[in-house]
Amino acid sequence: MKEIKIVVVDDSPFSVAMLTNMLTESGFNVVGSANNLEESIDAVTRLNPDVVTMDMTMVGTNGIECTKAIHLVNPNIKVVIVSSMMDEEIERDARKVKIAGYVQKPVDSEELSLLINRIMADEELFTELDGLYYTVFKEALTDTCNKLFKMVPDFQQEDNSNKVQVSRGVSVVIGIIGRYGGRMILDMAYDTAKKITDSLLKKDSQNKEEIINTIAEMSNIVAGNACSLLNKSNKLLGLRVAPPTVVYGESLNISKSELDSLASTKAESIFGELYMSIGFKRGECE
Amino acid sequence: MNQKYTEPFINSFLNVLSQLGFDNIHKESVQEIGKNIESPGVIVILGIVGDLRGNVIYGMSEECAKKIASTMMMGMEVNEFDEMAQSAVSELSNMLTATASTEFTSMEIRTDISTPTLMYGAFNASASFEHVMRLEMRLDDLPFFIFVSLEQD
Repeated sequence: MKEIKIVVVDDSPFSVAMLTNMLTESGFNVVGSANNLEESIDAVTRLNPDVVTMDMTMVGTNGIECTKAIHLVNPNIKVVIVSSMMDEEIERDARKVKIAGYVQKPVDSEELSLLINRIMADEELFTELDGLYYTVFKEALTDTCNKLFKMVPDFQQEDNSNKVQVSRGVSVVIGIIGRYGGRMILDMAYDTAKKITDSLLKKDSQNKEEIINTIAEMSNIVAGNACSLLNKSNKLLGLRVAPPTVVYGESLNISKSELDSLASTKAESIFGELYMSIGFKRGECE
Repeated sequence: MNQKYTEPFINSFLNVLSQLGFDNIHKESVQEIGKNIESPGVIVILGIVGDLRGNVIYGMSEECAKKIASTMMMGMEVNEFDEMAQSAVSELSNMLTATASTEFTSMEIRTDISTPTLMYGAFNASASFEHVMRLEMRLDDLPFFIFVSLEQD
């Protein structure tokens, strides 16, 4: 694992010195410290740490306010609350500003070091998934189309924007569950879904249910194959897929996602346009 | 479907909604329906895997969704079912399913849940299993549906 850079934020010079010693002894690189909001912003801007340890109560500010300011500079910095106070209200506020974890003062050196290592290992794993999943799902769709229809869809560029999508008519939603939760959506016009079904069943399908079942199964194969491939690349991901739900209608909007990573693409096929969107969410507050 | 698979969703609705500040909430009816679900306007789909496998789908009218969003945002007026309101309803579906999942755990049934997908407009949905339980709940006299489509893995 790469060297982990840490900034200690605490308004007590004693706590700063103690935490710095503790973290250094545990093998972390403490690159700086800060006593208040302004110094915190300055330190993370200059030093670009991986992790910030954050005191909760400080003169003129608090840990939540400082965390918000730090995340404005760099939303990827992991903030660990180190505080003597910890109750439900603080936990709730902490969750809202995406705190990576917390330990209570007096700090147990091993507990803090374990927590930071776990957070950073988790970050590496998510980065690994983030760098892989789009290609893997695209390959799974290509492979499925190739095997089922002897055709390769022509993909457009990857799109990472997060906006409301208007469905083409039929949308298959598959929930993904594992180390990280997520979902895949495969969307197409009803006519495209019918042509796919006709091609697979080698007949003119008039039955809506038949068409829905076929598209659901095809999506299930794509998502299942993609998740198997991802699990093979790193078994810690442990991804599994929930059964597909097919949504269809004249007016169907897919809301913006609340995911941390999102990738979608359109693909031209002999049956019409296919739209695939995949996304994952990081874990919750530890 | 076994009644013990629907009970945690009913309890979760009653507990979570009352914690959010709704006073007028109750269970209206429980009915087994086929796999076809007519959307009342807004639905949120979550996948479930573990000892049970399937989906839970929450369905409500836009009016009901806006009311939920407004209450969750401390009484803020919600005139449009906009991004903020959609986000609030997604968050509620997460809370409801996580609470039900916790109750399953206490019954020694392990479940994990996916992220929610919210859709709105005029449409229908088709669940993956033939049998779906429709739990019709009421929230300030507005219907709120929980469609449970689960099978033992």
